[in-house]
Amino acid sequence: MDIDAILLSLKLAFWTMALILPFGVWAAHHLVKLNKSRPWFEAALALPLVLPPTVLGYYFLVGFGGKSFLGIPLVFSFSGILLASLIVNLPFAILPIQRAFEAINPEIREAAQVSGLSNWQLFRLIELPLAWRGIISAGVMTFAHTLGEFGVVLMVGGAIPGETKTVSIAIYDKVQSFDTAGAGLLALLLLATSLVAIGISYGVFGRSLSRSNGGRT
Amino acid sequence: MLKVQLSQSIPMPIQIHLECQPGELHALVGPSGSGKTTVLRTIAGLRQSSTGLIECDSQIWFQGDELHGISKVLAAAQRSCGFLFQQYALFPHLNAIENVCIPLQNSGLNKSERKTIAREWLEKMGISELAERMPHQLSGGQQQRVALARALARKPKILLLDEPFSAIDTPTRQGLYKTLAELRKDLNIPILLVTHDLREADLLADQITVIDQGIGLQTAAPQTLFQKPRNSRVAQLVGISNMFHGIFDAGKLIWDGCGHIFSVVDKGKIPPNARVAWVVPQSGLSVHENRSNSSVQATVEKMSSLGQIAVIQLRIENSDNTIEWEASSAEVKRLQMGLGSQMYLELDESQIHIMPLRPINDPRRFIGL
Repeated sequence: MDIDAILLSLKLAFWTMALILPFGVWAAHHLVKLNKSRPWFEAALALPLVLPPTVLGYYFLVGFGGKSFLGIPLVFSFSGILLASLIVNLPFAILPIQRAFEAINPEIREAAQVSGLSNWQLFRLIELPLAWRGIISAGVMTFAHTLGEFGVVLMVGGAIPGETKTVSIAIYDKVQSFDTAGAGLLALLLLATSLVAIGISYGVFGRSLSRSNGGRT
Repeated sequence: MLKVQLSQSIPMPIQIHLECQPGELHALVGPSGSGKTTVLRTIAGLRQSSTGLIECDSQIWFQGDELHGISKVLAAAQRSCGFLFQQYALFPHLNAIENVCIPLQNSGLNKSERKTIAREWLEKMGISELAERMPHQLSGGQQQRVALARALARKPKILLLDEPFSAIDTPTRQGLYKTLAELRKDLNIPILLVTHDLREADLLADQITVIDQGIGLQTAAPQTLFQKPRNSRVAQLVGISNMFHGIFDAGKLIWDGCGHIFSVVDKGKIPPNARVAWVVPQSGLSVHENRSNSSVQATVEKMSSLGQIAVIQLRIENSDNTIEWEASSAEVKRLQMGLGSQMYLELDESQIHIMPLRPINDPRRFIGL
């Protein structure tokens, strides 16, 4: 078992999830309020879902080049694959939270306004608690997706053991070197993790939204 | 006192002027889509008018005119108003007492003080035992009581009720009417009620404003509104069945279609020889077996019994006019009335009310009448 790769993947998934969720909540909350420009933002956000990972990876590689961000080198480094992972995961983080905010009945917001709540209080006391299912779902999806990310991570980070060689890259390496048993074990690990993540996500979102958040059915 | 003067032409025309004194319940009545909820939401600050004035307790909440634009506008959160929604709009993740605590967030009280006040309000609503229940565990009537407690918790300067009883079954509604009537005495703030139910407005309101297509057609006490509607559209909207047309000249009203002449007094607003609409309330009608000098001959065309009350439709002799007469079943029996019976109808001329006639589909024509 490639423990280094597993630990690195967990570290990458954790930091991606931890950094992207606050941004996802902020972005989703603003997206819900947009009118005419909303489809354009949504389309830009959905790009990582449809673009081949190698294309994304290529642009990251070319974009980052030999540059560094705040003195931290980005190419072939953990920081680089973290930044790439953050961008690739934007749709997984934002869309579920956006849907959760959209599901809140507008009258609930109006009731909060006529109750004298400020915008910040409305967000903190009403909208955020009502959107928690979406936030958890976004976290789980981001975590699981990062664990299995391959193309972009390989293009930006290469396969440096302990630095950028994640589980998916380790599986690829093992298959290349005919270590099918090792590859199979790691693949099984990713499969189980993904199943659990999807299960949690569906379990959380599968229940009736209307009963628990006053959402539109 | 609440003072509302709204005037806009887009996105939908709104022309309304109303005043509501503390302790007064003022009903806005009109058909669906007439703009009554829009008016209420504008007062609450949930939508904005382009021009007009909203003033509450000498504080201006909104002011704007066509020349200078909007000069003052307070956000909904800054207006001290309690708002009761048709579908309750309780916060679904909070239990009943937490819902009532929400408007007290900025009261400067600590959490336990806020809970004490919220509990007191739930007690006033008679649902203190349901304080820990989540909204989905409450019936419609209970939810509306929690919503009412929430609307009143921060002692608002006005209370706005947006068809609050329409989603509730009749027995529960009666209980809420009673609660509202009792609360009115203690609150002493202006209360505005939006409803399409005229009986509800008649039962609860001190003043009624009839709205149609965004235009306030008439504001009056319920009794006045039903007896003296300002024009034929108001008469139609308040459901007056005995409305007819005629020509009015020099104190004489000539009934269209049958030529009967009545002596009628008006306030001098009707021009000479004008076509008018006129109504007569049930109290101005009586039916007899024998002819008199002033009676009108009529034939019984339809009879329907509603328990102790019978509604009789009479066709006026030699005309297309029909008139509805409501009487007790005993009176109908006494008159030995049956389909096709010839009867004699007396109309009390002092109770005949004449109104200007305008096209029904253009309520804007009524402005200024």
